[in-house]
Formats: sequence, C-alpha cells, structure tokens
Amino acid sequence: MSNINLLVFLRFMFIISSQILIFNNILVLGVSPNIYLIFLIIFPLNYNKSIMYFYMFFAGIVLDLFSNTYGIITFSLLISSLLRIYFLKFSFGHFDASKVRKTADYIRETSLYQKLTFLILMFFSHQLILYSVEAFSIEKFAWIVKKTLLSTIISIILSYIFILIFFNKNAR
Amino acid sequence: MRKIIDFLIKNVHSLTFIILILFSITQIINKNYYHNSKFNFFSNSLVNSINQSKQSFNEYFELKKINESLISENNFLRNKYSENIEIDSFVPINNYLFESAKVISNNIKFSKNFITINKGKKDGVEIDDGVVSKNGVIGIVNNTSEKFSTLISILNTDLIINAKIKRTNHFGSLNWDANDTQLLTLYDIPKNAKIKINDTIETGGMSSIFPEDIPLGIIENFILPTASNYYEISIRLFEDIGSIQNVYVVKNKFRNEINELEKNNE
Repeated sequence: MSNINLLVFLRFMFIISSQILIFNNILVLGVSPNIYLIFLIIFPLNYNKSIMYFYMFFAGIVLDLFSNTYGIITFSLLISSLLRIYFLKFSFGHFDASKVRKTADYIRETSLYQKLTFLILMFFSHQLILYSVEAFSIEKFAWIVKKTLLSTIISIILSYIFILIFFNKNAR
Repeated sequence: MRKIIDFLIKNVHSLTFIILILFSITQIINKNYYHNSKFNFFSNSLVNSINQSKQSFNEYFELKKINESLISENNFLRNKYSENIEIDSFVPINNYLFESAKVISNNIKFSKNFITINKGKKDGVEIDDGVVSKNGVIGIVNNTSEKFSTLISILNTDLIINAKIKRTNHFGSLNWDANDTQLLTLYDIPKNAKIKINDTIETGGMSSIFPEDIPLGIIENFILPTASNYYEISIRLFEDIGSIQNVYVVKNKFRNEINELEKNNE
C-alpha cells in the first residue's frame, strides 16, 4: 500500500513540475497546454476520495501560485475531480472501479474511441470551467468558447502522447 | 452527538470537497482584483436595493416627523432670506450647488463608519463631494455607483474637517475619537483664543468641500494639555448622526478649477 502512496506522490511531483517548468512556457496559438490534468485522469480509481481531493487542491494551489491565478485552477481541478467518475461511467460503460488497479489496464483494454471520449470530456469541461471563472462575464462568451476549444485540442494531443510514453507499461 | 459524528464519518468525502472548494472560492474572490470588484458590485447592488425598500417602508411611518422638520427648515430659510434682503446689499457669489438625497443605510457602531445615500453618478454626485444636513456636516463622498454613493461619515476616525469657532474665528481641525457618537474633538485652537463653554462651532472656509458657516455644534468642555499651546475641545454635535434621513450633497462649482490651480503650485 505504501508503494501506491509513493507512486501517487512521485506522479504528483513529476507532472506538476513538468507543467510548471516546461508546458507553462509553451504557447501554441495563444494558449498553453494544460498537461497537469493527466494527474487527475490517471489517479488511482480505488484511492481514498478525500486524499484525492487534497492532492488536487495542493496541485491547484501550486499551479495557481506559478501562474498568478489565485484559486482559479484549484477551483476547476476540484470540480473536475468531482465530475471524473461520471465521465468514466459515461465513456467506458458499466465500469467497476473497485476491480481495476492499474491505469495501464484501462488504457489497454478499452478502445481508442472510449479513451478519446473520456479525454475530450475531461479536458473540455475542465477548460470550460477554467476560462469561465477567469473571464467571469457573459459578454466574453465567444472568447471563452474559442480558448476552451483551442486549448482542449492542443492539451489532448500532447497529453495523449504523454500518457502513452510514461504511463502505458509499468504504471499502476 | 453520536448522530452528528456518524453523519460526519459517513460524509467525510463530500465535506472535504465542500471545505476545499469554499477555500478556493474565497481565494478567487480575495486575491483577484477583478473578481473581487465584480463580486462586490453584485453584493452591493443587492444590499442597496434591499436597504432602499426597507427605508421607504420605514419612511411611511415617519412622514409626520419629516413634515415637521421640513416646515421648521422652511421657516428658517424664509427668515434668513428676508434678513438678507433687508440687511445685505452685497449678495455673495454662491459657489455651491445643493442636491437633496436620502440616507438608505447608516452605521454608527464602528470606529470607521460609512453611510449610503440614494444619489449616484447619474445625479452628478462625484467623489470628494461634501454631504450636509440642516444641522451640520454628515460626511464626504468616497465612492459612487450609478444610483448610489457611499460617504465617509463624520463619525469615522479617518475624517478630519476644517472648523472654526464662530465668535472668535479661530480655525482648527475636527476629528472623532470613536468614543461618544455625539462628541467630537477640535484640535489646533491656540491657547490665546478666549473660548467659552457653549460657543458655536462652524465649518471653516479653508477647504473646497464644504461651504463656510455651516453650524456643527457647541463647545461642551475644553482642556489645555500640559506643555501644549493648543486646546483640546470637546464639541457636542447639533445633528444626531444615528437618525439622519434627509441630507444634501454639496458640490463646489469651482472645485476642479481650484484643485488645478493648487496643483500648479506643487
């Protein structure tokens, strides 16, 4: 059990630091890819929920500090972590979360469409909340939609590659 | 008690989530200037509209009292008008415009008190306009929205008003020490001034905010601190700030001109 705790902690350090050090500095078409959502996407399914919320909370706080958006990323990460289980059920059908232990399992045993649906749902909802809270006004609706779509597409491409490289084989 | 603990254990995840999300929302509102002002705008307009309807409800029951005070004010003004015509052949140029307003929220329980009135930018109210009632000074406008304005009340320890003693014409500065809502303190009156208890205090004409000679209160008590050349004088206000309803916003027509002129000297 301590093994999985350590693994989650190492993932936390790795993904958050690569977001801060590398991906925050990349601008593609005016948006920077939000890789940190991978941490939530591959978070162990049968892990303690409260600890998951705390992990997301601290990840959000750290990211907020480094991008000067106090509380906005924290807020949207927490909402996304609440929505994740519903998106899982929607994209992978009747999914028994308690039986799956490895991220690699559900990457290997599901089809590309299922994976893509899940990624799109996660990223789209996250970016939508993020930009809506940031703009905080209905007049900027077009701007919000444009930014959301762009960053969803870019983030999905990059994070799909990221997942395949780092979490396909020996990850839990 | 047992049930409460059971409930807490059962819902620990949801409770964690709610606490963390509330924390992040407070972060958003407190630390981001834009979100903060937007949030304040929503809450202020809600609170102000509630306050206004409450005030108009209360007003109905006080119509008689308001009527009486208006009649007495009318009489006072009429007398003053006739005096002027008979005695003064020289009519001074009037620099000030008056606009009536109603107090919709008022507070006297803190040390830094603020008042909200029902006139705003739409009615020409600007920041730094003065606000008076027939019995004295009420405050200075520090913030305006379309329909409302907030004032720094005279019962706010940050507000210092230029005042003079009517009989001797000595100038000083009037400030509240946050103890008694009827008593203010007048500083900087030199010790050679021959002041007496019950002397009247008026606004001095040294600032461009308030016109000269608005009555403020009377001297209740005064002391000369040891080794000081200036009196500390307690003033009892004519106006009961806790119960004011009708006020006037005072605008100096030439304030911009005066400010510009003074800025050139700096």
